[in-house]
Amino acid sequence: MNEELDSQLSAMFDDELAPEECELLARRLSRDEQLKARWGRYAVVGAAIRSERGVRLNAPLAGLVSAVILAEPALAAAQGARRTGVRWWQPVAAAAVAAGVAAVSVLWLRAQAPLAGAPLSAHLTAPTATAPGAAVVPAAAAGAPDSYVVPRAPAVRAVVPSTELANYVVAHSVFSSPVTRRNLLSAFMTGEAGSAAEEPRDDAQGNVQ
Amino acid sequence: MSADASDLSLVRRVQRGDKGAFDALVLKYQHKLVKLVMRYVRNPAEAEDIAQEAFIKAYRALPQFRGDSAFYTWLYRIAINTAKNAVVSRDRSPIEYDLDRNNEESYDMQGRLKDSETPEGLVLTDEIRSTVNAAIDALPEDLRTAIVLRELEGLSYEEIAAAMACPVGTVRSRIFRAREAIDRRLREVFEGGLGRAEELG
Amino acid sequence: MRRAMSSSERLVALTLAWAVAGAALADERTPAQKMAHESAPAQWLERMNQALTTRNYDGTFSHWHGGRVEMLRIIHRVQDGTVSERLASLDGSGREFIRSGASLTCYLPDQRTVLVEQRPPDESLVGFPALNDQTASFYDIREVSHTRLNRRNTHVITVSPKDEYRYGYRLWIDDSTAMPLKTQLCDTRGHVIEQIVFASLTLSAHIPDSAFKPEVSTAGFKWLRNESAPPALAAATQAWNAMRLPPGFRIAARSAQTLPGSADPVDHLVFTDGLASVSVFVEPQRREQADQPVPESATVGSSSAFSTVIDGHKITAVGEVPPDTVRFIANQLKAQEPPPVGSRRP
Repeated sequence: MNEELDSQLSAMFDDELAPEECELLARRLSRDEQLKARWGRYAVVGAAIRSERGVRLNAPLAGLVSAVILAEPALAAAQGARRTGVRWWQPVAAAAVAAGVAAVSVLWLRAQAPLAGAPLSAHLTAPTATAPGAAVVPAAAAGAPDSYVVPRAPAVRAVVPSTELANYVVAHSVFSSPVTRRNLLSAFMTGEAGSAAEEPRDDAQGNVQ
Repeated sequence: MSADASDLSLVRRVQRGDKGAFDALVLKYQHKLVKLVMRYVRNPAEAEDIAQEAFIKAYRALPQFRGDSAFYTWLYRIAINTAKNAVVSRDRSPIEYDLDRNNEESYDMQGRLKDSETPEGLVLTDEIRSTVNAAIDALPEDLRTAIVLRELEGLSYEEIAAAMACPVGTVRSRIFRAREAIDRRLREVFEGGLGRAEELG
Repeated sequence: MRRAMSSSERLVALTLAWAVAGAALADERTPAQKMAHESAPAQWLERMNQALTTRNYDGTFSHWHGGRVEMLRIIHRVQDGTVSERLASLDGSGREFIRSGASLTCYLPDQRTVLVEQRPPDESLVGFPALNDQTASFYDIREVSHTRLNRRNTHVITVSPKDEYRYGYRLWIDDSTAMPLKTQLCDTRGHVIEQIVFASLTLSAHIPDSAFKPEVSTAGFKWLRNESAPPALAAATQAWNAMRLPPGFRIAARSAQTLPGSADPVDHLVFTDGLASVSVFVEPQRREQADQPVPESATVGSSSAFSTVIDGHKITAVGEVPPDTVRFIANQLKAQEPPPVGSRRP
């Protein structure tokens, strides 16, 4: 048992180790499974002492995160343009794949926000904030010669007699693709036929109020 | 000591492409993050999922972390946002999955690991906790005081040195030895857990 | 000298190594390879369609549209080649849709009406639009992430339309069962206009027949049925066709049937681009309909309906597409008389 090393590990865990020693130990820690396991157990000891109800002390969380990260491209390849004014960050030349990877990450993060106004097809653009309570703003599709405007809040009245519409919906449902069919029939079952859609109000971060 | 040197040294390694360094950050902060998320979701399994998601988001966003704040502060904010989003996008009914395992066709990581609903998961946690408590009770008083002041009160080595009227080097040594003693007993519990893990395999 | 790993360290290492192996098993390709291999996301859509149509499941889900969320229950079973399905609103309307083989029944307690539609027995039950090469021309299908949703590993697939004739989708497809745990339908600017999320889902080997009985009481309801034997298509003297279609849409089916409550035959044309489909119903305009204003638009959630009159016939288009698409298609319908015998030029 290397006491000095383990003692350093304990100090580093408490953020009480000199920076230059941290650099060296960090490198060892990342590669040494035994050391990492010990480090992990230090965290378990702390959590056990603090006796946090409901927090699992043997959760496979770390392993699961590790597995996901292992499948990702290394961050050094994913870094974009260098930021100025960073004293200690050592930039690495951006790889050609960086832009694509960064954009995918952005889209993924946006996907977590519920019903956010994230552009579905904008895999090349950064997310933009949705104006709160945006009014209907018809936008012509870029490059579409025929003006084919899809208003965001179609204001329609239920004029088609309900029973007749039901007939059409049911007859059509046989020919829908499975996932769109579920949308159609669900909307029909909840009695949404003919109602005008109300817009969700988004705050600036795209969170639904 | 410059604050946060420990985390920053690991963060820098991750930013340069060392994924193993991120494991160390996860291991260190996973319990804290789950506890934080449980302020928003009461279900521990769901909290673990959200915490996992937060760690992954943090990993992907790490290129943008410049050290303006402490790493944990930054991670903490990501976890809160992730938890809030999860709560908002969740619908009124409790979300439970009960997939008939006989029908599952493909290899499923989750099927191998028992999740926290199963008794084994909770029993192991209780075992761990009681083992640690027993080990601490058995410690010589100076070691016990040092580790409790550190882990329960969150005092720095210098603060503990002042409280215990001893040099900082002694504090460091006492905490280290306390951990070693607890770890010896903890390994026995994990050994029992290892046996169980092998049965699941 | 490397000391032997302690058992607890072995546990952590085992967990990590095992998790790595699990990840490796799940996908051996690098992310770059994954992104380059465009058929893979489409394969997930295929698997999803297979799961939705062939597996037995019982679940509750929330349906969000227009600022309202409602809960529904869906039960689906395939047994001996027969599809049984029940979709019921859990709060609010009390409506139910039950399918038993070729018989589709719609319970509408708010209208005290039951519609029973008998489909032709030889109609293929799996006749839904299939993704084809054409589909890729009009949709951009990508897997944008592999993430966990409610403790399940899911593939997030986006289906982005390349024009404004169709909707886009974002799907969270369960890695293990290929069921869509969460579905977002997006308009052409990417705004989510409809969302379905499973709150609970059980895939079981056996679902009893009793699961497909309606809960609503139908005492005093009006029952509308259609004729079980549809009129022969050849009886129609006119063949209706769409003169133009939005890019990517092609005719997929044509049939004649009667609708519940009506004795008149209706031509039913189905157009699809591989993902979205639009039905067009053509029937002679009845006298009592002459007073109704035309054209008319309606929505069924995010789906659209449009009615107009052309040459004395009522044309109604219904589909999971934006309103302007159904309007466009309906307006393109034209009857084509077969040329009279003897008048053909050589």
